[in-house]
Amino acid sequence: MALNFDVVVIGAGPGGYVCAIRSAQMGLKTAIVEREYMGGVCLNVGCIPSKALITAGHFLHKMQHNASEMGLKVPGEVGVDMAQMQKWKKSVCDRMAGGVEQLLKGNSVTILKGEASFKSATEISVKSSTGTESVVAKNFVIATGSRPIEIPGFAFDEKLVLSSTGGLAQTEKLKSLVVIGGGYIGLEIGSMLANFGTKVTVVEANKGLLVGLADAECVQVVQRKLKKSGVDVLLEAKAKGWKKDGSGVAVTVEVGGKEQVLKAEKVLVTVGRRPNSDQANLKGIGLAIDEKGFVKVNAQRRTNIANIFAIGDVACQPMLAHKASHEGVMVAEIIAGQKRAYEVKTVPSVIFVDPEIAAAGMTEEEAKAAGYTDLKIGKFPFGANGRAVSLMETDGFVKVIADAKTHIVLGVHIVGPEASNLISEAALAVEMGARLEDLALTIHPHPTLGETMMEAAEATLGHAIHIIQKPLGAKPGTPRAHA
Amino acid sequence: MATKNVQLPELGEGVTEGELVKWLVKVGDQVKPDQAVAEMMTDKATVEVPSPFGGVVKEILKKEGDVVEVGMAMLSLETDASAGASAPAASAPKSASAPAQAPAAMMAAPATSAKAPASVAAASASGLDVVPPAMDAKVLATPATRRMAREMGVNLNQVRGTGLAGRVTREDVLTAQGGAGAVAAGSPMVAKASIPRPAYQGPAGAVEERVALKGIRKKIAENMQMAKHVVPHFTLMDEANVTALVAMREELKAAGEKAGTKITYLPFVMKALMATIREFPMFNASIDDAAQEIVYKKYFNLGFAADTPNGLLVPVIKHADQKTVLELSREIIDLAKRARDGKLALDEMKGATITITNIGSVGGQYATPIINHPEVAILGMYKIQEKPVIKRDASGAMSLDSIKTMNFTITADHRLIDGAVAANFLKAFITRIENPGVLMLDMM
Repeated sequence: MALNFDVVVIGAGPGGYVCAIRSAQMGLKTAIVEREYMGGVCLNVGCIPSKALITAGHFLHKMQHNASEMGLKVPGEVGVDMAQMQKWKKSVCDRMAGGVEQLLKGNSVTILKGEASFKSATEISVKSSTGTESVVAKNFVIATGSRPIEIPGFAFDEKLVLSSTGGLAQTEKLKSLVVIGGGYIGLEIGSMLANFGTKVTVVEANKGLLVGLADAECVQVVQRKLKKSGVDVLLEAKAKGWKKDGSGVAVTVEVGGKEQVLKAEKVLVTVGRRPNSDQANLKGIGLAIDEKGFVKVNAQRRTNIANIFAIGDVACQPMLAHKASHEGVMVAEIIAGQKRAYEVKTVPSVIFVDPEIAAAGMTEEEAKAAGYTDLKIGKFPFGANGRAVSLMETDGFVKVIADAKTHIVLGVHIVGPEASNLISEAALAVEMGARLEDLALTIHPHPTLGETMMEAAEATLGHAIHIIQKPLGAKPGTPRAHA
Repeated sequence: MATKNVQLPELGEGVTEGELVKWLVKVGDQVKPDQAVAEMMTDKATVEVPSPFGGVVKEILKKEGDVVEVGMAMLSLETDASAGASAPAASAPKSASAPAQAPAAMMAAPATSAKAPASVAAASASGLDVVPPAMDAKVLATPATRRMAREMGVNLNQVRGTGLAGRVTREDVLTAQGGAGAVAAGSPMVAKASIPRPAYQGPAGAVEERVALKGIRKKIAENMQMAKHVVPHFTLMDEANVTALVAMREELKAAGEKAGTKITYLPFVMKALMATIREFPMFNASIDDAAQEIVYKKYFNLGFAADTPNGLLVPVIKHADQKTVLELSREIIDLAKRARDGKLALDEMKGATITITNIGSVGGQYATPIINHPEVAILGMYKIQEKPVIKRDASGAMSLDSIKTMNFTITADHRLIDGAVAANFLKAFITRIENPGVLMLDMM
């Protein structure tokens, strides 16, 4: 006899497990199907493990570069035990994934381990090592995520040709690495390994790094730092193929019409991720998939089959865990009969490079494209912030973009220490439609990095305290603060 | 073999949901394309929901009494694409063309995606619309306000924000609520938010029953409250000697029966009203509060109040001025019957420029009706009575006579219509009613 549920969520990543918990909270009989890890890519081979390793790398970097100036004596060279680091990383992941499983059980969500495949719009089969089970449900939520894109000639073997998963699982220190793709995953892993002493070469097809992912001025700060830490960057370069070279690899790249060969111990390919819409027989039951491979959904994340929803990476951009979680909660509530739709102004993004980049809302180009012709843009550098100086992390700035007419905050872009932890205030400002004065007139505690947000808003209004700006009287036509 | 869901299609402008009144099919039934499968009650009317395609009912997904949103799956049909033994051969070509015929809003999953990718794309483009649509990027409203608007079914993209820099406030959403309903689009939503919503708490232990205020009743409540809130009403009453009208109607009764319809007094009252509002155009007008303008309408659509089991409905006779007494009679009978049966189409209750209430057919000497906002006047007609009058002949001798009388009221929006104007209007109207022959002069 088939198992029967109100809601079956396929995929236990940050979209799926959140959806299943909320669904159970709403009183719906809920199951979740997972073929690999609880917590999905995010908790196991993505966000969380990469942050563990990046933290270790950052720590090492500070020990090597800041400790002696601060008066801390580290006798001899700081050793790196990659095997121990992997163990520690695993303990972090296991703790988080274990937490997910506990939460699901605590909310009476049935966990079905295995590979799901649709038989019809109301039935799936779940295949595991112990057999195949039939599962019937009134509603399905597809939260099957995405996987790294392979490029021709670079099939992942996770030995010499690594995906992000392999890049995060190195148990020995790499001498050298070629990173194909200067997006956020490649740069996060690449600069993390560079901190551990790996010679990293980044091969990027675009004219710049992080194109379309971050404010260009923010990227410049990161690019300078990469250069300083010895990372080579080849722009407008195409990876043509690779050969074995002794125990390592020789990667052929084409730059400006000329071929050159990069020798390294391994090659990491991070050119993006593709939605897992070609699995679970989604097409077989007639689910509409768009030309980019995303399951077609509406603002409620409902597919063309009304009782089937799709959330997270498999549904649409941006492929970010926090967007998937937001959708998961929303879809569970829609199934429970609540009126909901995806109506957010921004999905904040964070990039854990050095220094960190974070953004909420629009870039200058996006604001102009959206019809805001008259913008006010202000910046405040971390170099003028006491906390940043005391952290010895003064690279970077906070940049605020506002509508000149109304002073409404349209976007905030941060590059600098703890940018990832600072951006939430900006996200709230954008969602609330806050004006520059709202940020500037909110007392921010001293001495914190958060003061830079207040000062950047002041700078945008033309009168920050801790940087030299023109006298207030010199700005005719400035709207009254409470007009 | 494939399973397709029948979704609740768009039921009309501004209608986002309905209450499922009755299933017309059950599990196992064979359904033909376009066959009505359920009756839904919206805030305006009861409508039948057709299935865009045929099949055998596999599962009923909603219960009677459930509130169903537009786009939600209502039932699933087992469609036999391969035309198995049980399917009649003739239905094969029909089902093949069904996706093309089906309105986009009622799309369903195609049996095979490989065959018709284009139709899938086309269908999902419109069929996946969320109602009301998601907020545009430029709209300023806090996340909490957005959620409230979504829960109330208010389209944020159409609300004019009154807050700083055009921010849509919580109050703006509350004001806009109800605006999407029966009140004509573009009509002013004046200060709706300031209408208090007091709670009622009965004495402890008292036997009471609570029923949700919903559907047609809720709409009536909202409309009446709105009209009384916005419009300063006044009512003028007078009596008409309808002896001649009664005689005339008696005379025409037989002719009406010959023409296959029953002639009541209502069409004559309508004719007299049409002729009088031509003379007094401000009775066929609206006030656009938002624009601060008076709108004079150059067309004459007559609403008449109909008592139905679900509550008051106002069917509308379009271009009543261009119709004969016979045509009006037929239309009145038809609309009234369908109003009682809950079968009126939504646009048959829209667009009246003035309304008549015939409460007198039930009882009461006089009433003070409520204007059907955004109209500015409502005419009341009451029961016919026989009354004694004193008659004086040429010599001055008095005698007692008997006449037939009928009471009329005109209720008007005092913002536009002054008391003296209404008195002149009622006088002109009653002159016509008392001398039905004069109606000939106005005949079109």
